[in-house]
Amino acid sequence: MKEYWVMLGSFGGGKSEMSLNMAVRAAAKGKCTLIDLDVINPYFRSSERGDVLDAAGVELISPPYALKKIEILSVSPRVYSAFTQGEGTVIFDVGGDHIGAVALGQYKPNFDAIPPEKLHVLFVVNPLRPLSSDFDSAMSMLQKIQKVSRLQVTGIVNNGNLAELTSIEHLKMGYDLVRELSEATGIPVWGTCGRQDMLDQFTQFAAEQSLDERYIGIKYPIEVMMHRSWDKFLNEGL
Amino acid sequence: MALKLMKGCEAIAEAAIQAGCRYFFGYPITPQNDIPEYMSLRLPQVGGCFLQAESELAAINMVYGAGGAGARVMTSSSSPGISLKQEGISTCCAAEIPCVIVNMMRGGPGLGNIQASQGDYFQAVKGGGHGDYHLVVFAPSSIQETCNLMQKAFDTADKYRTPVMILADGLIGQMMEPVELKMNPNPEMPEKPWAAQGYDPKGERPRAVLNSLYIETEDLDVLINRLHERYAEIEKNEKMVETYHTEGAEFILCAYGTVARVCKAAVRILEEQGVKVGLVRPITLWPFPTETVHDAIAQESVKACLTVEMSDGQMYEDIRLAVNGCKPCEFMGKAGSIIPSAEEIAERILKMREA
Repeated sequence: MKEYWVMLGSFGGGKSEMSLNMAVRAAAKGKCTLIDLDVINPYFRSSERGDVLDAAGVELISPPYALKKIEILSVSPRVYSAFTQGEGTVIFDVGGDHIGAVALGQYKPNFDAIPPEKLHVLFVVNPLRPLSSDFDSAMSMLQKIQKVSRLQVTGIVNNGNLAELTSIEHLKMGYDLVRELSEATGIPVWGTCGRQDMLDQFTQFAAEQSLDERYIGIKYPIEVMMHRSWDKFLNEGL
Repeated sequence: MALKLMKGCEAIAEAAIQAGCRYFFGYPITPQNDIPEYMSLRLPQVGGCFLQAESELAAINMVYGAGGAGARVMTSSSSPGISLKQEGISTCCAAEIPCVIVNMMRGGPGLGNIQASQGDYFQAVKGGGHGDYHLVVFAPSSIQETCNLMQKAFDTADKYRTPVMILADGLIGQMMEPVELKMNPNPEMPEKPWAAQGYDPKGERPRAVLNSLYIETEDLDVLINRLHERYAEIEKNEKMVETYHTEGAEFILCAYGTVARVCKAAVRILEEQGVKVGLVRPITLWPFPTETVHDAIAQESVKACLTVEMSDGQMYEDIRLAVNGCKPCEFMGKAGSIIPSAEEIAERILKMREA
């Protein structure tokens, strides 16, 4: 039976970064398919990292026109193949906000057929991003996304970061936010992600401050593949 | 306010709001769609109005209306969309309507592509619309600088009753960087006694007529002379330019916007190799910082200058005018939205040095 992961959240919150990291890791253990379901933004999509995914042995399903440097983005008919029986991991990297999550709604019958223990719907949060930085805006986004995607979020992810300037202070801000969200919704915190060195520091900090492990969850190390620092931009363009 | 991880477009929109912008009229086009997207959510929260017009023409004319009524108003678009707005921009200049126009340049001519480019320098600086006017043009080279310039753009527009353009590119719009925004819940708004805010027949408030049609030659002459006096003031007061390691340099690089950021990296590469290179980066493209450009290049130590643009050489014309033949000028251009690398710029300077 396949294991399904769906990444939801606000624009630029870290969905694609999570998806890529998960896909590469899952492919090391077995079959993995990554579905780039972003129909919103022609830039910054997991399909851009096709080379990394290829090398890792991840099957990538992209919208037909992705990376053609045009703006007509649509959903690939191949997405349905992910719902067929078999083994391995399937990851959905969905477009930002509730606007991007709309693309999921059409697959409701397919998702309904998956046993709940095989379907993980993650809501990725970065409090350092505008428009999703406080409880009210993150909560409202979570509700809107659940409504249009016709999926129940099963886990919240703390992705507190400020790109290359990230410090544990930002992971703490994320901790506070996911804790509030979790307490308000009853949805458990799935995990905390960040660069390995940040996670190590945060683990120590959490112990010192006696942070509640329930709101930290799995410590999921991220290797930065999506975010473009200025230097990466120069080499790779938009 | 603490740092936030923001996309250029989002940061620009928020900075405009903090500068008192309460009205946005626009029409979608990549790579600046995140500006209207952000404005559509944020403006209602601050008592403003976002409206997606039916076309670029409609959008710029709505800007004319709101600006004429004294509001802080903005529109944004990308190259082909800015072309469509040109008649309206010319009209705003003639009717002395303060407003801010953001151009996230993409590849051209025609529909071009949706990558970053610098092909709209001529259009912005030399007048894309008709008539004898100037547009104040700011060319930021980072997201942070763009944010800082938004306040200045609105202030300059109001001070001189003129449209101001932010000429950025798709890179600045789409890149994500940590930014610090000055939050200002009650931005200071200047008095605008000239604005069309209602006629009082008892004489308290005269009729405000904002017009760009002057049938009588003498009347048009008065307007244009008034505009040109104001342009002279702007040229005197508003030039902005950054010089980087120019003193005693052997070569001077000239670039604006994101390309200038690449040039800075080239300066550092060359300095490591013992070559003294400086950079002149105009921040206002009009008024053009002619004197600073000239003085940096006219230094005795300078052998030649190299202008780098993501175009076929547009600012290069103004650089040559500023240099006025005192030193050799060379140009390095990239077409098709290809970003020049710091290494190739450094290589070109080394070649110039051998020659």
